[in-house]
Amino acid sequence: MTTIVSESRRLRLPVSVPAVVAGLFIVLLVVSAVLAPTIAPYAYDAQNIEVMNEAPSFAHFFGTDEFGRDVLSRIIVGAQTSLSVSVTAVGFSVLTGLVLGSVCGYFGGLVDRILMTVIDLTWSFPEILIALMLVAVVGAGLHGVIIAVAIAYLAQFTRLTRTQVIQLKKEAYIDAAVNLGASDFHILFRHLLPNALAPVLVAAMLATGDAIILEATLGFFGLGAQPPTPSWGAMMSSGTAQLFVAPWVIIIPGCAVALTVIALNIVGDALIDSLDFRNKAREG
Amino acid sequence: MNRRELLISSSILAIASTSLFSNVAIAAASPSEATIVLSSDENGAPHLDPIRATLLSVTAGLIYDRLIAMSNDHTFHPHLAESWDESEDGLNWTFVLKKNVRFHDGELFNADTVVWWISKFEGSANQHVSSAIDRVVVVDEHNVRFEMKRPDPNLLYNLASYFMGIPSPKAYEAAAGNFGVIEAVGTGPYKLESFAVGQETVLVANEEYAWGSELSENKGVPEIKRLVLREIQDSSATFLEMDTGGADILMGVPTEFVPRLALNADVELRNMPATGVSYLQFNTSSAPFSDRLVRQAIAHAVDQEPILKAVFSGSGATAHQFLVSSLEESKVQPEFLIRKDTEKAKQLLDQAGWLLGSDGIRTKNGQPLKVRLWSASETAYKRMAEIVQAQLKPVGVIAEVALFDSASLRDALRKGDHQLVISHYDWDNADILDWCFSAKNIPHPNSSRWDNPRSEKLREDAMSGARNWRERVAKYKEYHENLLENFVFVPLHEFEKTVAVNRSRLAIPERIRETTVGSATLLDTRWQ
Repeated sequence: MTTIVSESRRLRLPVSVPAVVAGLFIVLLVVSAVLAPTIAPYAYDAQNIEVMNEAPSFAHFFGTDEFGRDVLSRIIVGAQTSLSVSVTAVGFSVLTGLVLGSVCGYFGGLVDRILMTVIDLTWSFPEILIALMLVAVVGAGLHGVIIAVAIAYLAQFTRLTRTQVIQLKKEAYIDAAVNLGASDFHILFRHLLPNALAPVLVAAMLATGDAIILEATLGFFGLGAQPPTPSWGAMMSSGTAQLFVAPWVIIIPGCAVALTVIALNIVGDALIDSLDFRNKAREG
Repeated sequence: MNRRELLISSSILAIASTSLFSNVAIAAASPSEATIVLSSDENGAPHLDPIRATLLSVTAGLIYDRLIAMSNDHTFHPHLAESWDESEDGLNWTFVLKKNVRFHDGELFNADTVVWWISKFEGSANQHVSSAIDRVVVVDEHNVRFEMKRPDPNLLYNLASYFMGIPSPKAYEAAAGNFGVIEAVGTGPYKLESFAVGQETVLVANEEYAWGSELSENKGVPEIKRLVLREIQDSSATFLEMDTGGADILMGVPTEFVPRLALNADVELRNMPATGVSYLQFNTSSAPFSDRLVRQAIAHAVDQEPILKAVFSGSGATAHQFLVSSLEESKVQPEFLIRKDTEKAKQLLDQAGWLLGSDGIRTKNGQPLKVRLWSASETAYKRMAEIVQAQLKPVGVIAEVALFDSASLRDALRKGDHQLVISHYDWDNADILDWCFSAKNIPHPNSSRWDNPRSEKLREDAMSGARNWRERVAKYKEYHENLLENFVFVPLHEFEKTVAVNRSRLAIPERIRETTVGSATLLDTRWQ
């Protein structure tokens, strides 16, 4: 079979300072999440009533919570929870969305109509409502939150992939592949998907930020990680009770959520700027 | 709007809304009426009919008077009954009724009212309060005699409870099953103006009132002419209402906000005597807590001190037995008290065959000792669950916490999948033991599912075998000790209610003689 080169996107390096800072922040966060148990200064669940609600100090950089637990250690382990839940959920959404979107976009017809009607139904409800309904069915806990977040973002990736595939399948190199007798499977996974992937990955980065907020929201309602496992949302939830006594218990995880989401958005924006979507170079 | 603009504008919006939240002064209460925010555990009463009700708030005590008033030292005082007399065998009680007492609808209160009223309990949700009464005999217009099937030493306590507030027979019969929904007519110091379920009840002073109980100085018309009793679900919102002057009285200050309200110079905080206990409940019908040794081990692994300190900021007391400590039945022999003893807990688990593994978790027949620990999601219960969870870990027990809203938790307990539950009750009588642990009450309210022949025998005897108060105390004490030696529960904390009063507007009496700020206290409350 003739090899068809279908390189279509040109990448320019993201050089803006905020993008570099945001990128470094995310790298730092991922590293600390991965090494969480090793680098956390205290055990995240070690209670010490003698030092409860203590303000930030050298012994506890981010202070202590209502049980005297070290907030810094809980933030680090909480990063592991937040990132793993949001990345797993969005990863699941992306993979499923890619498969469903490609099938719908490539084959069209009845398959497309039935699948897209079902997928579009999820767009009729706000993400948080879908998530709350699913957690009510699956049960509170991280697995429930992962499924809920994954389904909440599924429609977005399916639609995006489908639109990409519909556009790309009109290209001459696809016609060429069809005329050369390539199978549907080969065309879909060798030619269409690789080209549809870049915008989906950028959307995935932005969705990861949203997923962190959704995970924190579910955690805030007590539907995510169950005690003593920390998650940023659950930490904020328990912090509300002592907002006036120990404000750091709510402010610090709040800042962690905000900074992570902002960083993910800045990097996502930089990627959009870097990927030249207009240049659809075709070679063959 | 692109994504950057969206981020910037939403950040500005978030900052603006935060500052609004903290700076907006909530409208101050009206000068002509007092606003009372009810305690959260009294929220949600669907109606104000004391005969049918299973949940009543202080509102009922303001609309309906009772024959007897009980003070917070558990002594009984005359109210609509001027005096009473009990025969030696406990089978006859004679009550002398106050004269010239009228209901809000103008009907006269007399001996016939009492005969009608007691008969209405038959088949009602509160049937137990009159179950020992055989019949009520009219001696004359202001004298009634209760002829008993058996002695009931708890009769006076029941007569003093909200559930035995006396409604107007005429209004009650006219409402045909809907009494308490749109109208509620009693002889109390306040008349119902409006009632919205779950929201608020508005009461106006009864200008005819002249029959206050012995617990108040003022026997006549209350000085506060209009009361708005609000039900607010969110604890932060109740705090904000009180802190910003939107409420004049907050009946139960959420524990976490007590230190904050103490800083407000306009707010006076009053600690009311304890009327309830939080405890760790076992599901005794299934493994591993069907084994007494495991229950005992858990009981010794729990330390009540950190709960008192971290959850309740030192308010209340640690609990080592099931009852409110002011009750005589709580004074059990010291060896029955449940206290922390970590080493003993470990030995007991070894003895029960749960051996410590290298990962710090105990196992038996290959099964790890992992248990479900359920709690309501309200802050205090959730925190108790987290502390208990942390205390069980060192003895090799892994507790997985799951949080529920109160209604879902009640439903889940009926199903019986629970193992450990953070529970509480608010009741200042030893018959709470019967309510919580009677085999007849499985699956609810006996969600511990405790069913033991010896306990049942002692319970029956305590409930209906006593001829007088002293005997009742002795029998309940024996039943209580039996439950303690079986480790059916782990007492955690005896809680106090803190009442907050806006002292710049209201002066409540120096000495409160009721268990809460009720009708007697509000009769003596004055504008500043």
